[in-house]
Amino acid sequence: MAHTFKGGVHPNYMKAPEIPMTVMTPPPQVVIPMIQHIGAPNKPLVQKGDYVTLGQKIGENPAPVSAPVHASVSGKVVAVEPRPHPLGDMILSVVIENDYQDTPCTDLPPLTEEQLKDSDSILQRIRDAGVVGMGGAMFPTAFKIRGGIGKVDKLIINGAECEPYLNGDHLTMLNYPEQLLKGIELVRIASCVDKAYYGIEKNKQDAIDLLNSLHPEKYGIEIVPEEIKYPQGAEKMQVKAVTGREVKPGGIPSGVGCNVVSTRTCYAVYQACYEGKPVIERIVTVGGSAMAKPTNILTRVGTPFEYIAEQCGGFVRTPRKIVLGGPMMGICATTLEAPNIKGTSGVLFFTEEEDRHVDEPNCIRCGKCITVCPMNLEPVFMYMYYSKGDFENMAKYHITDCFECGSCAFNCPARMPLTHAFKTAKLMFQAKAAKEKAKAEAEAARKEAKS
Amino acid sequence: MAATQKERIVFDVAYQPQVRTNIDTPRLMSSVILALMPAVAVSVWQFGWRSLLMIAISVGSAVFFEWAYRKLLKKSATIGDCSAALTGLLLALTMPSSAPLWLPVIGTFFGIVVVKQIYGGIGKNFLNPALAARAFLLASYALYLGQFAVPSSLSGTVDGVSMATPLSFLYGGEALPGYFTLKTMFLGMRPGALGEVSALALLIGGLYLIIRKVISWRIPVSFLGTVALLTLIFGHEGYGHVDFMLYNLCSGGLLLAAIFMATDYATSPVTLNGQLLYGFGCGVLTVLIRYFGGYPEGVTYAILLMNLCTWAIDKGFRRHQFGVSKEDIEAEKAAKKAAKEAAK
Repeated sequence: MAHTFKGGVHPNYMKAPEIPMTVMTPPPQVVIPMIQHIGAPNKPLVQKGDYVTLGQKIGENPAPVSAPVHASVSGKVVAVEPRPHPLGDMILSVVIENDYQDTPCTDLPPLTEEQLKDSDSILQRIRDAGVVGMGGAMFPTAFKIRGGIGKVDKLIINGAECEPYLNGDHLTMLNYPEQLLKGIELVRIASCVDKAYYGIEKNKQDAIDLLNSLHPEKYGIEIVPEEIKYPQGAEKMQVKAVTGREVKPGGIPSGVGCNVVSTRTCYAVYQACYEGKPVIERIVTVGGSAMAKPTNILTRVGTPFEYIAEQCGGFVRTPRKIVLGGPMMGICATTLEAPNIKGTSGVLFFTEEEDRHVDEPNCIRCGKCITVCPMNLEPVFMYMYYSKGDFENMAKYHITDCFECGSCAFNCPARMPLTHAFKTAKLMFQAKAAKEKAKAEAEAARKEAKS
Repeated sequence: MAATQKERIVFDVAYQPQVRTNIDTPRLMSSVILALMPAVAVSVWQFGWRSLLMIAISVGSAVFFEWAYRKLLKKSATIGDCSAALTGLLLALTMPSSAPLWLPVIGTFFGIVVVKQIYGGIGKNFLNPALAARAFLLASYALYLGQFAVPSSLSGTVDGVSMATPLSFLYGGEALPGYFTLKTMFLGMRPGALGEVSALALLIGGLYLIIRKVISWRIPVSFLGTVALLTLIFGHEGYGHVDFMLYNLCSGGLLLAAIFMATDYATSPVTLNGQLLYGFGCGVLTVLIRYFGGYPEGVTYAILLMNLCTWAIDKGFRRHQFGVSKEDIEAEKAAKKAAKEAAK
């Protein structure tokens, strides 16, 4: 049986896993934003003038949906102030001047043998180390796993890496296979399940062979080779490809007994538990036509993009776009001052060469969006009702089920801004729902006051 | 270094995706034009250079009308998408070589200006411009469209300048003359409109389009399959059932229409099952008109009628979104039923 899903596209993959991973010299200054996860923002634990060690916790929030952040270099805190965030806006950040000593912090000792077999201790460590979904979603991992205990019978590890350009997961598999398997085992133990399925696209055959040669069954892991197709790495598509189950509209994978954790997250879990190392670095693919060649580098979290670009050889052409993550779902940063964060899997500098923008696009009704939509939606009609502002019909055509994979817009010969429209529409729906909720609450309060 | 200079870059911001396929509208349209080239070549072989002149006039006038209309109304230029050129080519291919050279000019004016541009241009017309133009000419200048010149391969066998098409023999109830064999009809050695004569040339083009995923197989296969099935079942006196079916598939403009006209993006359904129904409808109407209609050939009106149903078909054939199981659908239906009964 082929492990895949219906729909999807085949973009030009532009991958360069043959370029070995290089370790980047840390920058003279790192900027650590207090928001590097989905959930409540962290509060800084340090002040200007404090000395921090490598891996010291510098921001946290007690809320369950949050993840602390740690210093990615040792040195002096020179500012605690709002700085440009890669995802837009100015966000409170801790700026640390690097003393290049990498003085280690000993707050998180490696877990003991017993702790490594205990779900609660692993989860506590995952949280303390600030592990979030490092595929890009940045959802706090401990909360995700804890929420699935008892409901989840199949743990799925996402090794599809279906986004073009990105090589981070592939290189993690090749460089740290044993550590990775141990990390997956930890996530499996934490999730209280017997078996983890590791879905890997077949374009990483060398990694599949290498992992299989290390007896993954010893760790309770089965490698599942998958068809090469975007968006294979989307949660719902992974669940479908590996188990055949379909997540209900509006639902999450744990609703059908599955949890999906990314490759890089599992490796971060390994580092947190075996090495006592919080999330302070990650592998980033730097590429795009503004760069002379693609680079795979291990960077410290908080390295400004400008420094990353310089270290990777500088621009050969003036970039027009800074794309964070892969080009299919990645979003644009607006300034080179912003730093990379835990979820930044790629930094792509695009020029006119990648631009396919058309000023006045005309839909030709070819229906090519319908054939590729992995959610079985009908983008051509969703877009039509969107441009009319017809909310009722947008809802009828399930616009809120779109998870913005971009397949329809990628495949659109007329260059309609489909995904852009759907993302905007979803925000409009959210705003509308919030408004209605506020109105209902006000109404209820008024009634209460009257009675 | 040039840090200050870099800060001045204003970066573009856009929602995903940041990359797109390099197959765009002009490329799709020009690949359809390319797929019609074998048929064009056959028309030159059978009807001489005059056919090329007609095609050039038709394409040229279609592009001119599109350009002039957009220019006059100060709208964005769209001739670069090649769709006007395609409409001109398709219209020329539905005409006999003996038609006057001004005829395609009138046709493309109607097709491009009235049918396509007045409704908003590419993608917004609800009738196929080339077919609507042909229907218009058929109503206004029937005489010119009903006479077919003798093709070069039959000039030694048949006397005179014009002759009857195989389709008119089939429906006149007469036996086909000996020079119309399945082989000659398949290759294109028969009278007819410029582009319709060679089944082989059209099938090559159609196969190319399906392999390159420019069109889906659904409409042509269900269209041709329906015609084949119905003519096979009902047959005609004096013909073997299988022979009659094959003659039907190779005669008239059926293949040209099923592969290149019925699959027109703007006027055919986009839903997958809808496309199957649309092709089926085209097939049924074609056979009905061929059997009972006033014209020997029915594909033009069959497709135009189905064009009008496209919107309704798309509404009726929506898929269930990912994650909705059969049980969910049944539960929903049951809930609706219960609600109806409760309302009673």
